[in-house]
Amino acid sequence: MARQGLNKTLNSSRALDREILLESYGVTVRLEASDSDLFSETEETARKALVDRVKILENAEPEHVFRVSSDETGTLFLFHNGEQISFDTSRKRFFKFFNSMLRIAVAEYARDCVFIHAGVVGWKDKAIIIPANSFAGKTTLVSELVRNGATYYSDEYAVLDENGLVHPFPRDLSIRDEGFKEREAPVTEFGGITGTEPIPVGAVIITEFVEGGEWDPVSLTVGQGIMEVIPHTIPRNFNTQFSLKVLNTAVSDAIILKSPRGEASAFAIKLLSFY
Amino acid sequence: MNNSQCPVARKSGLVVQEVPDEVLVYDLETNKAHCLNQSAAMIWKSCDGNTSVSEIAKLVESQAGGKVTEDFVWLAIDQLSENNLLEKQIRPSFEGTSRREVIKKIGLASMIAIPVIASLVAPQSALAAASCACNNPSSCGNAPNAGCPNTTNCNINGLCAP
Repeated sequence: MARQGLNKTLNSSRALDREILLESYGVTVRLEASDSDLFSETEETARKALVDRVKILENAEPEHVFRVSSDETGTLFLFHNGEQISFDTSRKRFFKFFNSMLRIAVAEYARDCVFIHAGVVGWKDKAIIIPANSFAGKTTLVSELVRNGATYYSDEYAVLDENGLVHPFPRDLSIRDEGFKEREAPVTEFGGITGTEPIPVGAVIITEFVEGGEWDPVSLTVGQGIMEVIPHTIPRNFNTQFSLKVLNTAVSDAIILKSPRGEASAFAIKLLSFY
Repeated sequence: MNNSQCPVARKSGLVVQEVPDEVLVYDLETNKAHCLNQSAAMIWKSCDGNTSVSEIAKLVESQAGGKVTEDFVWLAIDQLSENNLLEKQIRPSFEGTSRREVIKKIGLASMIAIPVIASLVAPQSALAAASCACNNPSSCGNAPNAGCPNTTNCNINGLCAP
């Protein structure tokens, strides 16, 4: 049904001629593009978005279909399950948006794991998780922790398995300089290494940058901590029972602290020496 | 206030997760999450439709090992009702006193933590937490809703939000 609706919507665009079926974190996705150039970039973006945790499938019913097409003017169109969700004349901006949407679709419907919007580093064989929204300084803090010796796991998602262990989701760090310009930097740029093994959660840090802020943490109970994490938990609507169970398993032995913080560079040193 | 009332805990549309010393309840209808402390959880679990407020007080007293008054139970029921965690809304009147005054009165006398329910509304969809394609809302160009899904818009923080 979705396909019919989509074809109707795509009448004004060029015909589709390339597609690929893939699975990532248990979610099946079909990517389609209207020409080979677009297809290459779509596939490359998808692999990047899903940190190459992608398996190509021969045959399966996709849960998500993303279609990329262009018209005569060069405007790019993005469709998700038959609905147009974006159009843009800037190729860079268009694929950045596609990257984000694909990542969220997989995170929301992932099987056997729970995605939390958070920065994650490994420290003394345990994970420090810092749940936060975009623009909350998550990447800056993660990069400072890595500069100070922590192992890089992710600046985007804490991926928890059913045993509560954190798996790496090591995309390049998305650095925003002044003026909101963004660039991607490999963790090696910060002298860091990437974690490869799943590790238990040692600490959950609920914090945000406040001008002149002082780190003066209060310890939260497991219930209070999970309440802080819930808004950042991606599949909470799709698979609430599983998400809450995994959160409980993951943080029940962790230290959960909440406090505003000052500049990331000084805070990173303080946090690692504290923990 | 009628202490012979038998409140009923809501069950449908809720996901319940026991955590150490607390109970988390996620309301699938409203996307609200609630954290019930031990006292509130004990009272909520006792609301089976057959047990009166007076009986719940005695039950909790025997489980918690400290004096539990009916006001103590009403304090929990008031919050449970307010958060739609009972089948039928119950509005207790603390005999002319406010909830704050009751908390003060109970708090001074009780050896058991007063019942507390902390709540939050979670954003409806993960897409709401997605960054806008443009990063900077002022430079969003001609992308619809600044590249956000059509149920959301790019807010001043560069986030897609309802």
